[in-house]
Amino acid sequence: MSDNAPTLLLDRVTKRFDEFIAVNDLSLAVPPGKIFGLLGPNGAGKTTTIRMIVNIMAPDSGSIRLFGRSMNAALQNRIGYLPEERGLYKKMRIDKQLHFLGELKGMGAGAAEKAIDYWLDRMKLAKWKGSMTDELSKGMQQKIQFVATVMHNPDLLILDELFSGLDPVNAELMKEVVLELKAAGRTIIFSTHMMEQAEELCDDICLINRSRKVLEGSVREVKKGFGRNAVALRADNANGVLDDLRLVAKVKPCGDHVEVLLAEGATAQDLLKHLVAGGARVSKFEQVEPSLRDIFIAKVGEQQ
Amino acid sequence: MRKMLVVIRREYTQGVRSKTFVISTVLGPIMMIVFTVVPGLLLSLNTGDATRLAVVDQTGKLYERVRDSIMRGDDVESAVLGGQMPDPQAAGNATAQSQPTPVSPDARYTLEQVMTDGRSLEDIKRELDERVRNKELDAYVMLPRNVLEPTGEASYYGRNLGDVVSISRLQNHLSRAVISQRLIEANIDQRRVDELSRDIRVSTTKAGGGGREERQSGSFFLALGVGLFIYVAVLMYGQVILSAVVEEKTSRIVEVLFSSIGAFPLMAGKLIGVSLVALTQYALWALLFAAFALYGAGMLAASGVDVALPQIAPSLAIYALLFFLLGFYIYATLYALLGSMVTSEKEGGQLSLPIVFLLMTGIYLAFPVIRSPGSSFSVWVSMIPFFSPITMLVRIVTETPPFWQIALSLLIGVATVILLVWFAARVYRIGMLMYGKRASIPEVLRWVRQT
Repeated sequence: MSDNAPTLLLDRVTKRFDEFIAVNDLSLAVPPGKIFGLLGPNGAGKTTTIRMIVNIMAPDSGSIRLFGRSMNAALQNRIGYLPEERGLYKKMRIDKQLHFLGELKGMGAGAAEKAIDYWLDRMKLAKWKGSMTDELSKGMQQKIQFVATVMHNPDLLILDELFSGLDPVNAELMKEVVLELKAAGRTIIFSTHMMEQAEELCDDICLINRSRKVLEGSVREVKKGFGRNAVALRADNANGVLDDLRLVAKVKPCGDHVEVLLAEGATAQDLLKHLVAGGARVSKFEQVEPSLRDIFIAKVGEQQ
Repeated sequence: MRKMLVVIRREYTQGVRSKTFVISTVLGPIMMIVFTVVPGLLLSLNTGDATRLAVVDQTGKLYERVRDSIMRGDDVESAVLGGQMPDPQAAGNATAQSQPTPVSPDARYTLEQVMTDGRSLEDIKRELDERVRNKELDAYVMLPRNVLEPTGEASYYGRNLGDVVSISRLQNHLSRAVISQRLIEANIDQRRVDELSRDIRVSTTKAGGGGREERQSGSFFLALGVGLFIYVAVLMYGQVILSAVVEEKTSRIVEVLFSSIGAFPLMAGKLIGVSLVALTQYALWALLFAAFALYGAGMLAASGVDVALPQIAPSLAIYALLFFLLGFYIYATLYALLGSMVTSEKEGGQLSLPIVFLLMTGIYLAFPVIRSPGSSFSVWVSMIPFFSPITMLVRIVTETPPFWQIALSLLIGVATVILLVWFAARVYRIGMLMYGKRASIPEVLRWVRQT
């Protein structure tokens, strides 16, 4: 297995539940050491895809290869999975609980002990080590689950809606840790329907909607390929130019400036030329990329 | 396998440390004592004072016998037949109006004899009625002169005629007294009669034991005891297993677990873990009971009483243990299966009735099997895994079947347990994906075929 061989490879994977097709002919490649965004609206098939990756269920057709091998129970130890549906044993001490979950991932008792101390400290939860789950706040439980996901040093991390229910401080802490893990060479699959988060973290994305893949590639490629041309503009006396339908498709007020969506065939250069020629006083002129959110809304909205 | 051990260890340590376990382990024996000893105590407890009973003995021969009989309690036989001949002097020379006697040993009666002294029966009755009304007396008995004749009849007058138990006891005492007096008057040696009319004892010995006579006292009760023990154990721990299986579903930790361990080792691990908790509890109770029994037997032996401990062949003890374990696991896995189908503990509790019903059927089947342990009905019934733990054990005790039958019955049982766990694991894994909805039987069957 060479260095840039994909960590995870899905080849034409399909999963049906009775009549309903949850995942349809999905192929994707997750490169090692990157953060891969698995994006899509609720019910698109993200969770089903993840469950097949972690071997909770088997695909009806197609194949899943992990670390170059076909999926099997032993490979489960190299994955850390944080499901969207969070849960811990209610009447069990935090350290015992983590110990149990670590051992289920094949850790020895000593290694588990060390990892628990390290990670509880990292998550600022060291003093809760001996508490019962139901004495902890929801956000704390969330962090405990994150510890359970990473404590066995998995090569592949799958984080489903990592930030849901976290306050900004804890969300920031999580983000920091995720970037640290990436720097340490871990591959991370980040599943969410919150596009702002995906945009901040992901190197590559795959957008699925209604069980099918809609879009994939690196974030830059995706944005480029989206072919949307917009300019953030703040200018006085520009109205005449902005009304020109050959240049401008749409103007959207946006705080102290307006976002100008250029008409097809027009470039930012053309717009600037016309503005200057038209005597407008330009105080802000910046070409803006479409956000993942824009792309998401456009692509998913298109299909509905 | 290693992961299954991890699950077993978690279930066991969590179970043994739980408050429920500690409390029920301590309370179990206390409850057992309460349920066995207290009703007995309550029955023997006479809440009122001793019944004050007057005896009007017109024959002048019966009072002593009646008194002896009552004073010796319920052992009427020995009181009368083994008793002393009444002292004729005592009856004849008594001149006092009444003779109060000491309270009987169980404090049920204080007796007094009412002398007739030539007064008319009417006068005596009036006087005694008056005393009953004044609450100086609770009841009186009239023994007329003709009571010793074959058609003789005694009369009981009392304030409370509702205490049927006491009245019928009293009737026994009176009859015994009259009968033994009749025998004496017919010049029949009382001891001889006693000897001749003694019940015979039937000793029960198992035939065909290769000439070796094996005493089987208590064996049958062992079989039924094991049946009842399975019943109690299942009722106690079925619910625990159910909630252990549902726990992961309701706490939603199941998804993380399934990303680490297969459904079968998880399910089997939980089952073994919880059952070890149960067995720990029974072992503790058994030790306590054994220590108590040995201590008790030792004490009795030391005080010169010969204690016959029930004799149970070691092979039988082993079979009893094996079939107990089999029965426990069969029903425990049924509860696990139920747990894998439902979404909450409450729902599972409501649906557990068929399991209890199946279990009771097994116990009831023991009775036809006792009557004809060798019939083909019995053979079949002892092969059906849900019934075999009880019925096969009954057959072993009554008319030991060939070894291959016992082995086959055990084998079928073990195979059933494994199959049920496999089945439950499958249902569990697929059922986990269905949120908030109970699985119907057709759905369950479809799931099992899938995947």
